[in-house]
Amino acid sequence: MIRALHLTKRFSPTGPAVIDDLSVEIFDGNFISLVGRSGSGKSTLLYLISSLDRKYEGEVFYDQSEITHMPMQELHNLRNRQMGFVFQFHYLINELTALENILLPARKAGLLKEKESTAHELLKTVGLDEKAHRLPNQLSGGEQQRVAIARALIMQPKYLFADEPTGNLDTHNGDAVMNLFARFNQDHKTTIVYVTHDREFAKRASRQIELVDGKIVSDEAH
Amino acid sequence: MMFLSLRHLSSRKKQSALILLGIVIGTAAYVAISGMMLGFQDKLMDQLVNNDAHIRISAREDILTAEQLDSFENAKHVFWYTPPSGRKDSAKIDYPIGWFNRLNADPEIVAYSPQVNLNVIFNRGKVSLAGRMIGSDPHRQMRVTNIQSYMLSGKFTDVGSSGNRLIIGKALMNKIGASLSETILISSGKNTPTPFKIVGVFETGIKQIDETTVFSALSDAQNLRGAPSEITDIAIKVYHPFEVDQKVQNWRMGARDKIVSWQEASASILSVFKTQDIVRNSMTISIIVVAGFGIYNILSILVTQKRRDIAIMRSMGFTPKDIMLLFFNQGLLLGVLGGFIGLALGYLLCLLIGNIEVEAGRATSSSNRMIVSYDYLIYVKAWFIALFSSVASALWPSRQAAKLEPMDIIREGG
Repeated sequence: MIRALHLTKRFSPTGPAVIDDLSVEIFDGNFISLVGRSGSGKSTLLYLISSLDRKYEGEVFYDQSEITHMPMQELHNLRNRQMGFVFQFHYLINELTALENILLPARKAGLLKEKESTAHELLKTVGLDEKAHRLPNQLSGGEQQRVAIARALIMQPKYLFADEPTGNLDTHNGDAVMNLFARFNQDHKTTIVYVTHDREFAKRASRQIELVDGKIVSDEAH
Repeated sequence: MMFLSLRHLSSRKKQSALILLGIVIGTAAYVAISGMMLGFQDKLMDQLVNNDAHIRISAREDILTAEQLDSFENAKHVFWYTPPSGRKDSAKIDYPIGWFNRLNADPEIVAYSPQVNLNVIFNRGKVSLAGRMIGSDPHRQMRVTNIQSYMLSGKFTDVGSSGNRLIIGKALMNKIGASLSETILISSGKNTPTPFKIVGVFETGIKQIDETTVFSALSDAQNLRGAPSEITDIAIKVYHPFEVDQKVQNWRMGARDKIVSWQEASASILSVFKTQDIVRNSMTISIIVVAGFGIYNILSILVTQKRRDIAIMRSMGFTPKDIMLLFFNQGLLLGVLGGFIGLALGYLLCLLIGNIEVEAGRATSSSNRMIVSYDYLIYVKAWFIALFSSVASALWPSRQAAKLEPMDIIREGG
């Protein structure tokens, strides 16, 4: 479970609050979309609760541990073993094949051999089992994003965070990505939090949180 | 991180190859230049150390003054018509027995050889040449220098203890047109020329010795000089030729004779060695610094290009140390590999240089080829220079990469 308490984020000490005294609880297995207009603070909130941004006022708890007080090695392990990230731009490593990109977190964890079959299964799930040995520049944008999702899921993380995962994709590929998220949430009880500006894709989540000016204005479960 | 570092290197084949080439050339240049210069220096140093005495005690050449010969100290009306001047005649070591006792008691002395050194004129037919005669006990002389190894014909001991026999430098023999077993006339300038028989020929490779010098028995040289039982020099060999300075300083205290170490006698050559070393090191360091800047530039550009990769890797749990290693390893790999290839290339260059035929002289081997040093320390030093420059140049960009925070990169749009 993730608990954010009285979060406030400013990009400069005297600047306006991008996230303004915000509190939210994310339960294990939640499938949440963060929506709002541009500048509403949805991406900022995602990075705060996902530990990537650790400069804030307030507290973010992962179960009982507060992120800013967590030893760095523990934080690196948490990111490696329990979190997966998907960004709007795929951020694949150009020198590595699709399979090697997917296995990168496992390589860091020292579980390369153990995760090889999982990687092949994931490639099959995202429909790219025949393109396992292709480099990113030999894949389409949609295919690259699916590889990035497979990479985020290789360690079977407890939490998956995605910032505009469909933002750079057409409707067909966007749909495919959302289907993958829904499937993992159902099959593996992965907690998924994603940011989207697309109302239709936002509706695919079981819980929809809307932000305006750094505050939650609605938090609805379907 | 080595896996990814290798991938980075292999994905930029041209850049990597160019940097590698820089390191290879730098290392090979160091090996080849050092091999050549140190080979030359080693040969010359061997000659400086072993061809002559490590320490030479010789008679001080005093200049006469009127005061020294003034027997009428208080007679103000007595004057010299022509005041005495010039060198005191027959410079000699005044108390050689004192030196012999001292040298016999010194455990650091290998051997010593009393000598008579005198300037002479060689005559054969109509040819007259000025030169130098060194009279010594041949057995003692052989223990002090390695003259026997330069003998082309005859043995050094053939001069015996008397009998007007001599060993002559090959170039000198050619100049006066003599040959082995022939008799030539030698004069010290004071007496009538004395016949000496050539019983051996030597060649040290040092022109100024080979063209001017003959060796004879000590008593023959003393007789020629007209001062039997006097000696002008004592040539001394020590066990540790590179530590003679202190000994020479001690001996000089209270001694009337001139005492010179081999290093002082060869000061100009040794200073040339130092200059050569400075030139050699500067040249190589320049090449290696250029290669190092290559690594620095390319890695700095790479860190900028790979900011997105750094962000995603940090989000996957890779630590700042992992990120540092990702880039640092590339410099390390280039340094290690470039160093090894450079050593191999340098060795090949040394083999080629060692086969170049040159005019006979000090810096050539017995087969008149360039002398090259294959001292393992050259190779160790070259490899470490390559490694150090690569690692040092990779360190800064790697540390910069490690300091990058994923959030800053993402917020800046990668």
